[in-house]
Amino acid sequence: MKPTRAWAPYVLIAPAVLVFAFVVLIPAVANTGLSFASWSGTDTIQFAGLDNYLRAFRDEIYLISYRNTFIYIALTLVLEVLVGLILAGLVTMTGRRTAFYRIAFFVPVTLPMIAIAVLWGFVYSDDIGLINSALRGVGLDSLAKVWLGDPNTALLAISVVSGWIYAGFYMAIFYAALQRIPQHIVEAARLDGAGQWRIFFSVKVPMIRPMIEVAVLLCVTGAFQSFDLFYVMTNGGPDHATEIITTYLVEVVFRYHDLGYGAALATIMTVVVVVIGLVLVKLRTKDGGSGVEY
Amino acid sequence: MSSTSTKPRRPIVVAVVANRTLYHLVMGAISLLYVVPLAWMVMSSFKTKREIFESPFALPSEIDFGVWAEAWDRGDLGGYILNSLLTTVVAVSAILVFALAAAYAFSRFKFRGKALLLAPFALGLLLPVQSYLTAQARLFDSVYLLDTRWVLMISYAGLGLSLAIFLLKSYLDSLPREIFEAARMDGAGDFRTLIQVVMPLMTPALSTVAVFSILSAWNEFLLAMLYVTTDDLRTIPAGLLAFTGRYATDYPMLFAALSMITLPVIAAYAVFHKQVIAGVTEGSVQ
Repeated sequence: MKPTRAWAPYVLIAPAVLVFAFVVLIPAVANTGLSFASWSGTDTIQFAGLDNYLRAFRDEIYLISYRNTFIYIALTLVLEVLVGLILAGLVTMTGRRTAFYRIAFFVPVTLPMIAIAVLWGFVYSDDIGLINSALRGVGLDSLAKVWLGDPNTALLAISVVSGWIYAGFYMAIFYAALQRIPQHIVEAARLDGAGQWRIFFSVKVPMIRPMIEVAVLLCVTGAFQSFDLFYVMTNGGPDHATEIITTYLVEVVFRYHDLGYGAALATIMTVVVVVIGLVLVKLRTKDGGSGVEY
Repeated sequence: MSSTSTKPRRPIVVAVVANRTLYHLVMGAISLLYVVPLAWMVMSSFKTKREIFESPFALPSEIDFGVWAEAWDRGDLGGYILNSLLTTVVAVSAILVFALAAAYAFSRFKFRGKALLLAPFALGLLLPVQSYLTAQARLFDSVYLLDTRWVLMISYAGLGLSLAIFLLKSYLDSLPREIFEAARMDGAGDFRTLIQVVMPLMTPALSTVAVFSILSAWNEFLLAMLYVTTDDLRTIPAGLLAFTGRYATDYPMLFAALSMITLPVIAAYAVFHKQVIAGVTEGSVQ
């Protein structure tokens, strides 16, 4: 409808637009411009054309950071989304009291990630670590190792913490979707003699497929934004074994003050995230429609 | 369980009980994965360094909050908590007020440039902060905002607006237009309608936005670390990391600090778990 006074809508949106422009829009536009320049932040800005982009594609560490990010995505799809789905299955088994478990598994989502990162740094630590103490306690000394200091285990170790945090989150969104499945469908499957797990995987999971696709999208795009766990637990080490795009970006910009190059790295990442996001959304709508409507 | 009640009773009951026991055993084992690290954290804060090394799984010999007090004083945890509170309250209030006003305008009114003004907010949903961090840091530096009390408040407000506006707008879109027409018939202006009619109706949506925004502001680390370097201005996440650096091997102190930072959050969550779970999931799935 029409506002009573023509200027009213502009007054209403002004604060939001101004703050948003200052914090997001102007930096986003400026960042693209900066990516074609060479600048340390103190010297004069020089136009650099495509130099930053060409350099990025030859930058071994930058390429490694993509490889690690993709490995991290693969691991977290299992440790967060799949484990979350199984937890959701467990807490929706009929006739069980599960409120306690549902609430408990969600706890890590609410905690400051830095606190979790520091705590798990101790859990993995060589001398006081909980895991090594447990292994030594049951006589498996040979399995004890410096989990975060070993290039072979560091990335997996961080992914496990990520799973510890977010499996409960995905459980919660799957749980909400599962609750909306009409009871008579589940009853029908039960009368056909299907067991709990059979019902879950053959009846319920296909019905919440749209939500699973949303979860995959969240998990993949979220992985590109990960930073806290990596920065605190390993800061990209050992020997770049856990270097991901964001840790490298922060190092380039805030340690080497290579602003133009950092801006280019960020722009490339943005394009990659947006393209992957669009592809996943496209895949969803293409064969969608088979799931249940919410 | 109820569907089995027509069949012969006793063996089924036994099976169900056994089944239930097995179920809770499995779930209990999974719960331990969540409880043990946190319990270890709290227990270790009451131990000596020697005990932490030698008997990691033993209960502490005595519960002495002396180390907690020491960590609180020496680490100035109170200061960090106060900064986090201030930052979160200001940022979340700004998000709620600004986003509600904007969502109301975008949802209810026709005006010139509406589509053009709304579109950039979609960009805010799409882009992670890292993709424009470099330019943002320079911009903030050029207006002398870095290392001030304001920088995180403004950043968190700006970052939270997009999601808040779209969530609130979709909720407003679903309200029947008769409500607004009736308000106008009664002679209420646009601003009075917002405050007296829309706001009370929006409580559930506003609480979702509040939960989501509070958690992100309270736990944000990247900007907090990069934009604030004066220790007196640090929020909890960056402050905790600085603390960890200073007392790197003083394990009892570190565990005490971790406990003091996580336990209140868990307590608050225990009270508001319904709102928190609903807020976080609705906010993410949007």
